[in-house]
Order: sequence, then structure tokens, then C-alpha cells
Amino acid sequence: MTTLAFAILLVASLAAYALNRRAATGIRNGGARLHSVSNYHGLFALLLMLVPVLVVILAWLVLQGSVVNAVVMGGLPDGTLTGLEKGQVDLILAEIQSIAGGRVFGQPEPWKLAAAERLTELRQLAALGLVLVTALLCLAIMIIARKKVSAEFRARQGVERIVSGLMIFCSVVAIFTTVGIVASLAFETYKFLRLVPLTEFLFGLNWEPQIPIRADQIAAAGAFGWIPVFVGTIVITIVAIVIAVPIGLLSAIYLFEFAPKRIRAVAKPLLEILAGVPTVVYGFFAILVVAPAIRSIGASLGIPVAPNTALAAGGVMGIMLVPFISSFADDALSAVPRAMRDGALALGATRAETVLNVLFPAAIPGIVGGVLLAVSRAIGETMIVVMAAGLMANLTLNPLESVTTVTVQIVTLLIGDTSFDNPKTLAAFALGMMLFLVTLVINIFALRIVRKCREAYD
Amino acid sequence: MDDLRAVNRDVGTNATKISARGVQVHYGDTHAIKDVEVDIKERSVTSFIGPSGCGKSTFLRCINRMNDTIDICRVEGDIRIDGDDIYDRTIDPVQLRARVGMVFQKPNPFPKSIYDNVAYGPKIHGLARSRADMDEIVEQSLRRGAIWDEVKDRLHAPGTGLSGGQQQRLCIARAVATDPEVLLMDEPCSALDPIATSQVEELIDTLREKYTVVIVTHSMQQAARVSQKTAFFHLGSLVEYGDTDEIFANPKDSRTESYISGRIG
Ligand SMILES: Nc1ncnc2c1ncn2[C@@H]1O[C@H](COP(=O)(O)OP(=O)(O)OP(=O)(O)O)[C@@H](O)[C@H]1O
Ligand SMILES: [Mg+2]
Repeated sequence: MTTLAFAILLVASLAAYALNRRAATGIRNGGARLHSVSNYHGLFALLLMLVPVLVVILAWLVLQGSVVNAVVMGGLPDGTLTGLEKGQVDLILAEIQSIAGGRVFGQPEPWKLAAAERLTELRQLAALGLVLVTALLCLAIMIIARKKVSAEFRARQGVERIVSGLMIFCSVVAIFTTVGIVASLAFETYKFLRLVPLTEFLFGLNWEPQIPIRADQIAAAGAFGWIPVFVGTIVITIVAIVIAVPIGLLSAIYLFEFAPKRIRAVAKPLLEILAGVPTVVYGFFAILVVAPAIRSIGASLGIPVAPNTALAAGGVMGIMLVPFISSFADDALSAVPRAMRDGALALGATRAETVLNVLFPAAIPGIVGGVLLAVSRAIGETMIVVMAAGLMANLTLNPLESVTTVTVQIVTLLIGDTSFDNPKTLAAFALGMMLFLVTLVINIFALRIVRKCREAYD
Repeated sequence: MDDLRAVNRDVGTNATKISARGVQVHYGDTHAIKDVEVDIKERSVTSFIGPSGCGKSTFLRCINRMNDTIDICRVEGDIRIDGDDIYDRTIDPVQLRARVGMVFQKPNPFPKSIYDNVAYGPKIHGLARSRADMDEIVEQSLRRGAIWDEVKDRLHAPGTGLSGGQQQRLCIARAVATDPEVLLMDEPCSALDPIATSQVEELIDTLREKYTVVIVTHSMQQAARVSQKTAFFHLGSLVEYGDTDEIFANPKDSRTESYISGRIG
């Protein structure tokens, strides 16, 4: 039935389009000068119908379930629900629904069977109503839209208004989602900060989020200083960037300027495949290949190396980021006008000089933007570090030791059955908030650097 | 063709700087230059005229081997500068381009400061021994480009921040800075207003003292004003080549005449 409603809407709006277009063409053929091209008259009718009726249908579908349920529950024999808790009422409703759906368990009371029957009836009624309302609305709008067709009618402006309204709606949805995410984070962070003082969280040098779950357990009180976790993130990010930036940039330069066409045709897609490898797989690679290799190299040099190292996690993360940076750099280099290249070559610069002295500086805004986005990704990356870096919050700058990161701690804090009013759980949100703030600051910096370079160059 | 070369020999006392024989250029399947033969005199201005798409730019780009940078472009024939075949395998196009400078139709300053724009060529070719040397070269070149007075107070401002005409003169200064023997100019004034155009034209006239200048232009007046020799291209062939005065006063080929009088083009 719902499908039928959508079909009616689709057919009706196409019909409205055709109708108004024909009408407008008719007016034009009659010798009058149309303000808008007849196509716009058609589009106007189409949008005028499509948008509001679609909203009505969707709203109907959203509300239908709860209205029907309320009617059914209200129609139960007097006294069945008195004195029951909300959970029990919900249980009864669920049972009625499953009976209506044909899944009968045991011997339900007769009033439940009756209610189930009523539910089915009401649902059919509602569906019928939907189809009817859709059809009527479509008809009404078609008539209204048809009446509007005239030589002076500004159909183009109408269409533009509706379309720009749609675009505003979409951007508002995106913005509100962001605001909602931040708000929920901020709310939980606030709850956390009521249990743990802000100064302790921001400046504390210990991260030991073990809280006794039951009062009789013996455990340390727990320490929530985020510095070690943050430093761990920074160390791993630096390792990743130190590996990713040179490899990414040099490979981009090679592919852009020096690689023969055939190599480029093979290498670029291969590099892009690297970007598509799931991070879990990178994690395996880190554990199985990179970490043992680092350990054996360390052993042969006589340097003590922890089993889980920041170097392994950061290194593999760097490899993950190579295609990211290289494709950004490639795009930025390709965007430099050919005239710039010709200018340098005509001065007698070699290809290497041209790329390094002329193309590269001109491409810097794009490249810096790419690198900073890569930093944001490295900071937010979870899976590789969960697998390869370890869980111990050591306050160290040595990449050969085991460290932990903000994202890893969020994961470990939220695993398990702790309740949502426990500082251990709430700490995850506080960390999430900090992560959000840090990446926000980096992104703002990225934008400013990019803008500054742009100003200087064009 | 033979009688044309007879005309060349009669005119001017300068030695031949560039000589081309049987030059053919193909872009893939397009035959863009057909068997062009020309001798260009030292320390003179030669202009290439002709309708759009006739191959003026293509031929100009053969002289500094810029066509090498286009994958599908194939150049055949023999082009000599001072008697050396520039397409010989022993010739390094990078060194050739240092000797044969080029100015493009659209000003294309690098995204660097004015100073660095001019200093770039001398730097990569190691022409300056010291910082003071470089300052000297930059000033000289900017003076040659007739733009020194306008930019001397802001040498470290970005070159892209200049007006179109200033940018073009900056590009000329940049090309002059490597001290080339030949200067190729592809419609250098097409983006400029009349004042900037006349500045550039004056400049070209003074450049003739030191350099061999080849200029592509769509303006017959410009060709008449700045050049001693003119070559008329049509559909990839060199139709007529001779003294500028001669070509404009009494063209020998009917195609040249119709072009000059505005009937082809
Ligand atoms: N990069 C290229 N790839 C393919 N064909 C080209 C290329 N450059 C030029 N051609 C072709 O070669 C022919 C000559 O082009 P060229 O640019 O030399 O003409 P032109 O005389 O400079 O014209 P204009 O006065 O418009 O600048 C044209 O037919 C053009 O389509
Ligand atoms: Mg051209």
C-alpha cells in the first residue's frame, strides 16, 4: 500500500509536469510571450507536488505506528492495564504486535487476540487512508498548479525558490547533526567533570581509569590525567606523519612528472588500492610483520624494544596515509597551470627544478591541506593502534616503548558492562571531546595556512 | 622557395642566426607545419604573422624545443642556431632553452617574489657568483624589461600581484635575465592595453641591439612597427618571407595580400 502511495505521487507529479508544460507551450504558441520557458512551468508543478506530498507521506509513515498502537492499547478492555508498569505495558503491546504478525506463542488470552485483530484492521485502514490522502492531495495540487500557468507567471523564480529551500534544508540537516554530536559529547563531558576535576583531567600525569565496580572490591581510586594518553597520540601521529609525508610527496612527484605513462597507469590505481585496505588489515600487518621486524632489529643493535611499540603502530599508520597524501599532492600539482611549467622549462630549468622550485611552491596550499587532514586522520585512527600500540598509558616520548592513544582508551573504557554514570565510562566522552577539540584546532590551522598561501600566490 | 631566399640574402648585413630547412611538425595525425624553410638574421626582429591555427606558435616552439614537452608532437627537419643542429642528440634541450628564451602569450610569472622571478633563471644556470652579482643581474634585467622604476621599491612583493602589463614585462625581464641569444615571443602583447603594448614594443626595439628576436603577432601594425623581417604562414606553410616593408607594401603571393588587406583570417 505504501508503495502504491509513492507510485501515485510519482505518476501524478510527472503528469503535472507534462500538463503544465503543455499548457505553457500552448500559451506561447498562441502568440503570448512567456516570462519563463515552458520547461520551468512543468518543473514548478513537479516540485510543488513532489516536495509537500513527500513530506506528508513520510510524516504519515512515521506517525502511523504510534497512533495505531495508542488506539489499540486504549481500546483494551477496562482494567487490563491498571497498575502495570511501563515495561509491562510495552511487553503486552509487543505480544499483540507479534500475534498480529502471525507469530502466536502458547495460548494468548482472548482479549489479546481481539486486540491483534483490531491492530491489523487499523493498519489496513491507515494504509488505505494514506493512499487516499496522497491521491487527493496530488489532485488538488495539480489543479492549483495548472491554474497558475499564465504568460506572466514567474515559474523560474518559483522553481529556484523551491530548489534553494531544499538546499538550505540539506545544509541545515548537516549542521544540526554536527551540533547534535558536539552537544551530546559536551553533555557527557560535563557529567564527567562533575566527578573528576577539570585540572586533574587536563594536567594529570597518570591515567589509570580503574574504578571499583562494586563497593566491596579492592581497587585503586583511579586516576584520570589525560596527558600520557595525549602524548601517546602525539608520538604515534608524529611517527606516522614523518613516514607518510616524504614517501607520499616523493611518490606523487615521481608519478606526476617523471613516471612514464605506462607506469603511472599501473601505479596510481595500485596506490589507491592501498587507501582502500581496511585498517584492521593494517593492524594485522603491524602485529605480524612490522612489530617483530622492529624487535629483531632492536635486539641485534642491543636496543631494548617493547613488544608493542609506537613505532610499529605509527609506521603502519604512515603507510596507510601515503596514498592519502600522494593523491592530494598529485591533485595539487595537476592544478598548477601548464603555463607555469612552460615558463620554467622555457628558462632552461630541468624537469626536477621545475617541479621543486615552481610547481611545488604553487601547489603548497593543496599539499598542506592534505597533510593536515592526514594528521587529523592519524589522531583519530583507532584500529591500528588498538591492535599494535598497546593499552598501557606510559608517559614517554620514546617511540620504541609501548604507548596508548586517546582513541584506544575510548574503546577500552566503553568495552564491558559499566554503567553510564561511572567516571570510567564518562571519561571516554571527555576524551572524545578533547579529540574533537584537537582535530578542530588542526583543521582551523589547516584552513588558515591554506588561505595564507593562496593570498601570497594569486 | 628559392626566390624567397634570394630576397633574404639581399636584405640586411647581419649574419644568419637561425636557419630552418624542411621542418615538418605533426601533432598525432595533424600535420601542423609543412616543409618550412627560413633564415633568421642575427640582432634583428622577425615577425611571424598569419591566420589563427596556421602554426606560428608551433614553429616558434620548435626553435627552443618546447615541443618536446608535448607527448604527441613530432618534429622533423633541420633547425640550426649558429650552424649547430639543435635537434642533434648531443644537444641538451635544457641548455638550449637557456640560450633561447621565450615569452608567452599570457603572462606567467611564478608564484614567487618579483626578485625571485627574475633571479630564477640566473640561479639555476649559475650565472651569478655572489649576492651582489645577482642583485646587479636582477636590476639590469628589470631595466631591460622597462619595469624597474615601477617595482624597485617592492622587489620582494609577489610577482603575481602586478598588473597584466607589468607581469608581461616582468616575464620579459625574466627571459632576458638568463642572457639568451635569441628571444622568442608568442603574441606578447595580446593581453595588454595600448599603453603597455607600446611600452613592450619600444622594449622589443631596444632588445634588438643585443638579441635576435622572433615575435608572433596578430597585429599587422605591430609587425610593421617592430620588425625588420616578416614571415607569413598559412595552413602550416611559410607562404612568404622577406623585408617587412616589402611584404606590406607589395606582397608577392596573393594569399599574403588577401591576409594583409583583411580578406583571410
Ligand atoms: N598541443 C597540441 N596538440 C594537438 N594539436 C595542436 C597542439 N597545439 C597546436 N595544435 C594544432 O596545430 C595547429 C597549429 O597550431 P598553432 O598553435 O601553432 O597555431 P597558431 O598559428 O599559433 O594559432 P594562434 O594564432 O591562434 O595562436 C593547429 O591546427 C592546432 O590545432
Ligand atoms: Mg599561437
